[in-house]
Amino acid sequence: MLLTSGILGLPSWQDFQPFIVTGISLGAVYALSGVGMVVLYRATGVLNLAFGAVGAMGALIAWQLINKAGWNQWLAYLIAVLFGGFVTLVYGMVFGPALAKRDPLVKATATLGLTLILLGVMDLLWTSSGGASRSIAFPTDNDTFTVAGILVEWTNVIALVLGLVIAVATAAFLRFTKLGTAMRAMANDREITAALGVPVRRVEAAAWFGCGVLSGLAGVLLADLVALDATTLTFLVLSTLAATLIARLRSIPITFIAAIVVGTVDAMVTPIQALSNYRDMTPFVLAAIALLIQNRRRVIAVGRQGV
Amino acid sequence: MFQHVRRVRLGLFAIAVLGVMLLAGCGGSNSSSSSSAAPSAASSSATSSTSSSTSASSSTSSCGPKPGVAATGTPIPLGAINTKQPGTDFTDIENMEGAYFACVNANGGVNGHPIKLYKLTEPTQPAQIAADATKLVQTDKVVGESGNSSILECTINHAYWEKQNFYVIAAGIAPECYSTPNIADVNMGPRYSSDGAVQYVLSLHPSKVVFDQSNVPGTGYIAAGPAALAGAAHVPITQLTENVPINDANSVALKEVNDAGPNGAVVLNFTPPEALVILQAAQKLGLENRVKAWACSTPCDTDFLAQALGSKWNGKFFVNAELTPPDPTNTPTMNLYKAILKQYGSDVSGGIGSFSQMGFTMGEIAVHALESIKGPYTTQSVNQAFVNVKGFDTGMLCQPWTFGHYPLHIPNNTDYTVTPQDGKMVIKQGCTAISSVDPQIAAYHKAAGS
Repeated sequence: MLLTSGILGLPSWQDFQPFIVTGISLGAVYALSGVGMVVLYRATGVLNLAFGAVGAMGALIAWQLINKAGWNQWLAYLIAVLFGGFVTLVYGMVFGPALAKRDPLVKATATLGLTLILLGVMDLLWTSSGGASRSIAFPTDNDTFTVAGILVEWTNVIALVLGLVIAVATAAFLRFTKLGTAMRAMANDREITAALGVPVRRVEAAAWFGCGVLSGLAGVLLADLVALDATTLTFLVLSTLAATLIARLRSIPITFIAAIVVGTVDAMVTPIQALSNYRDMTPFVLAAIALLIQNRRRVIAVGRQGV
Repeated sequence: MFQHVRRVRLGLFAIAVLGVMLLAGCGGSNSSSSSSAAPSAASSSATSSTSSSTSASSSTSSCGPKPGVAATGTPIPLGAINTKQPGTDFTDIENMEGAYFACVNANGGVNGHPIKLYKLTEPTQPAQIAADATKLVQTDKVVGESGNSSILECTINHAYWEKQNFYVIAAGIAPECYSTPNIADVNMGPRYSSDGAVQYVLSLHPSKVVFDQSNVPGTGYIAAGPAALAGAAHVPITQLTENVPINDANSVALKEVNDAGPNGAVVLNFTPPEALVILQAAQKLGLENRVKAWACSTPCDTDFLAQALGSKWNGKFFVNAELTPPDPTNTPTMNLYKAILKQYGSDVSGGIGSFSQMGFTMGEIAVHALESIKGPYTTQSVNQAFVNVKGFDTGMLCQPWTFGHYPLHIPNNTDYTVTPQDGKMVIKQGCTAISSVDPQIAAYHKAAGS
């Protein structure tokens, strides 16, 4: 143990504690994003890789409205959230039907197109030339309490609670409401669901809009908690994606837990000198391990069934 | 079963695609972190407007020998190459130099000749960088190179410039910008600016220094300077690197503070956006007072950053500044710079700030050199004039600027330290020489006889 500690440069448990706190708060926002991605996938079969870019642009619009147009910040955040919903909905309505029968890989790749377009627009409108740096700060950033020797903002608590509430509410929505049931049915078979009289386009629109709203919400929260930077926010979807894959793009509760785990493990690797520079691999590694384990279980189960 | 297989395939595909995109993003952010290594940073638009109003009365007519008379002679073609890619844009530098030349051309030119600046950009691709240089020389027939600022240009092209007998005036980043015979820079670059930041915190007698920078090629070269300074002061130094963009700044700030300890100092070498997220994370976690001092290399010298940080960092955070701070300076040169920026600098998006100051300074030096030429403007005469520049007072630097026939060039080796004060960067320490404890600085002084 001591040898491992010496080789890896492991900090003490006390030193780890603040990293756990920061990791949980980050994981909570990953969870928020993950729920949006899973809901959309379950309803439309689309893995929305533009989730981060849409949120990033919403956050930059909010920054612009607050700092350049003098808008009330809550109104600006609302616009950011609605922007997320609008852009995602428009994309879904324009490209969704055309891609409905295509392979999930094609659908996912198509969302990369939206990602690249939004990245280009953000780079054009919010240039980093001349050392420009931007930030968003919620009023709740100023209200803090101490845990494990570090200040915790109420924004962190809000992120955690919001992630939890949205995960629970979405799971309940999918299970107990008519629209949720329709979404689950569509995930299984779009054509049979349509034949049964379910208004497929309307259900899909609801899923696209819901996913977009969550991307806007996550974008604004991550802009405060992480950074208001187009590239950073766009690629944070990677950590979220790992959580959704661990949940096999199905389970909302597992997505939530996996996101918290990804965020926490990522943060806890930071103070370990030997691993610190490789911490960006954390989501990849966790997702790969989870996929391997799940695949192994599946093979065993299929083997037992004699299929 | 098939659905499961498809889902696994989709998962693996998504991981692969995003991995590739992340790498692409890192390329951009490498550039961001190279932009940390970038020449410098700009001041805010707020500053810009204030300063512009003060300079409204300043005249641009003093930039040429014949006020109001446009130069009509044969144009003198010069070239410049700047990095431009998503997340990293140095074109303010060549654009400001172009604005300076436009002012000169409108007021008599250089011995009656206007200067034509061929401005090229490159997206940090070696082939493109090499092609840019060839195009400038062979197609555009430029007779001199002034205004280069690129992440890789010096590395890729220095041998070409040597072969062509070009002496390049630049704002450098890569080691070759400072360690080769045919390139001289108006800025100090990431290594010597980091030296300046470390040197300042060492004067506060910390028990330890933590030096953290972007994890990009060249970090070893940059880190060598701070290591030498801390070593000479017998202060332990921990060198850290961070992958950029930084996704979890809270953890990074915590790590830095834990490593430094209560009497230690943390020194950053990042682009303004990356430095800002670390400093804001430290502030959010209440870490700003957990160490003796925080410092940063030149890119942090921006009012954007000072405004975003707020008053909690007053007197706690110190930034190396390679060029004369524009806000509190009211000299004829600074007023001319502001007036030119206002009248001719419509394409200088960052406004007042280090990028445009560098472009202005390179323009000044180039014009000063060109004015000394009595005969025709050829590659030979222009480059001879460039390399012969000696002791030229630009008004933008602590010391007069010299090119010279030296094996290496670090002509800007004396600088300021600034600190945020209620949303503005103010001077904390006046012109101070970077210590010759850094072996490269010592080698330059020896070569230049300074």
